[in-house]
Amino acid sequence: MNNAEHTSFVRPKDSSLSKRGNRLAVLFFVILIVLAFLPVLLVIMSSVSSEDSVAQFGYRFWPKEFSLEAFRYLGKSGSTIPRAFLNSVFTTAAGTLLGLLIMCPCGYALSRKEYSGRKGLMIFLMIPMLFSGGLVSTYMVNTQILHLKNTYLALILPGLCSTWYLMLLRNYFMTSLPDSLVESATLDGAMPFQIFRLIAMPICKPVVMTVAVFQVFAYWNSWYPALLYIDSNHSELYPLQYVLMNIERSIQAMIRDSQYLSGMNTYSPPSITLRMAMVVIVILPIMILFPFFQRYLKTGLTVGAVKG
Amino acid sequence: MTVPAIVWFGLFCYLPLFGIFFAFKDFTPMPGRSLLYNLFVKSPWVGLRNFSYLFRNPQSLNILGNTLFYNAIFLVAGIVIPVFLAVILSEIHQKKFSGLVQMVLVLPYFLSWVIVGYCVYGFLATDQGQINSLLQVFGEEAVRWYQSPQYWRVILILVGIWKSCGYSLVIYLCSITAIDRTLYESASLDGATFWQKAWHITLPMLRPTIATIFILSIGSILNSDFGLFYQVPMDSGALQEVTQTLDVYVYKALMQQANFSFSSAAAFLQSAAGCVLLIVSNLAIRKVDKDSALI
Repeated sequence: MNNAEHTSFVRPKDSSLSKRGNRLAVLFFVILIVLAFLPVLLVIMSSVSSEDSVAQFGYRFWPKEFSLEAFRYLGKSGSTIPRAFLNSVFTTAAGTLLGLLIMCPCGYALSRKEYSGRKGLMIFLMIPMLFSGGLVSTYMVNTQILHLKNTYLALILPGLCSTWYLMLLRNYFMTSLPDSLVESATLDGAMPFQIFRLIAMPICKPVVMTVAVFQVFAYWNSWYPALLYIDSNHSELYPLQYVLMNIERSIQAMIRDSQYLSGMNTYSPPSITLRMAMVVIVILPIMILFPFFQRYLKTGLTVGAVKG
Repeated sequence: MTVPAIVWFGLFCYLPLFGIFFAFKDFTPMPGRSLLYNLFVKSPWVGLRNFSYLFRNPQSLNILGNTLFYNAIFLVAGIVIPVFLAVILSEIHQKKFSGLVQMVLVLPYFLSWVIVGYCVYGFLATDQGQINSLLQVFGEEAVRWYQSPQYWRVILILVGIWKSCGYSLVIYLCSITAIDRTLYESASLDGATFWQKAWHITLPMLRPTIATIFILSIGSILNSDFGLFYQVPMDSGALQEVTQTLDVYVYKALMQQANFSFSSAAAFLQSAAGCVLLIVSNLAIRKVDKDSALI
């Protein structure tokens, strides 16, 4: 399962594609990935264009005039963006770690045959997949009973766990952790929690990483909880995604900030390229981390395919 | 070991479940009182009145139609296109190239709808958009995209496929990898062509994966991706007629009009229909092919 990367491709002599067929297929996919990448490329190129050239010629794949003024402006524009960036980093780290702390032990317990509540717990976890209370009651419960409105917890808690990840963890623990290992550890007098921490976790690192990767992306990309639970007078809690969503208002705030910082000396921000620069700040971490994360994605998918 | 998880599911999944009552009550929030008191003591039962309002509202049919229309298209396209791509990609000789293709195609899946909204904006902005610049090169009139509902069905479908296709592609590719290669070898000895092998070996072997994805998408037939329909059209009022789906409607009824009963009736409908459809389609698939069923 771990060597999915080595087995997932066909050697040329085994492939059903002829040489000519292969060339055509490659050509087809080259065109496809260029098309698929164009929207992202357009955003990146626009962010390094000069404001004047965009105003005159529009967003272009190859700007008439390169300029980093949008990024420079972001750097000088006071605390809005750095604060939002830190908020995003914080919620991402906290949500991912806390979620793993809750889900890993539970997934391990679900995988052990000697745990008697296994069946019941499985059903308990499956029901929310079939039936949910819907947005209205979720919103009412989170705001009126749990009092999450305008707190960091509103951005972290609702996405903490998911039945999917629990099943993923359970399946991996079931297939990769030999029963004999757990049994002999029990005979040696190890407590269940010791076995989990010292034996199960190290063996199952790949799947834990997979869940972590999915959660990191989910939290980094999350804007919906902020839309629901954070009011506009608590903008110090905004994650980066939500600032970007409210870009018009954010740009106003930045102008105010920079006027405040630089006295009366006002100069109009490069507002057309500014929004694209903010998009780039959000996607850059994703694009940099993506190649490293990609292999864990596959581990998750191959394990997820095991039904149980 | 399971206590934290049970507590979380209790608070965030089971506690909202009693919100089903919202749909059958005339709920008016009263400040200073607890939610449960307001819901169970203060609010009168109204039976199915919330639902009949929902169905008598002239907008509702349009909203329901939109939701079903987009989901039907995504259901079919979300299976056909990735399977087609995966079948070809799995046989490509250059391993590195195949890896690159997967990476580029799956990238949009990991971008948020906010980002996707701006990627689309780069093309469609009225003054600076790439497409309007192109139109002008050919001497055509610029189009005010965010005011022209007639184009948005196509745009939303393209964007939806662009974002989700790569991920499904990788899922199918993983399942294809698990197929026994000797099947293909013996088919080659019998002189089968590429397409014959794809049709008679790969597709039947992929059936369980396809069935799983099909059942799950049927279960969410009344749910729509809120981000796609709210974020990508930038919440433009002029486009409402083609972009408003049930989720967007529920959100707006709740946050902008504070209409609790109405939106919870819609949410209940979503959940109930999804649950029933999921069970029915699972049963149907189990009848046809026992191994492909989900539960």
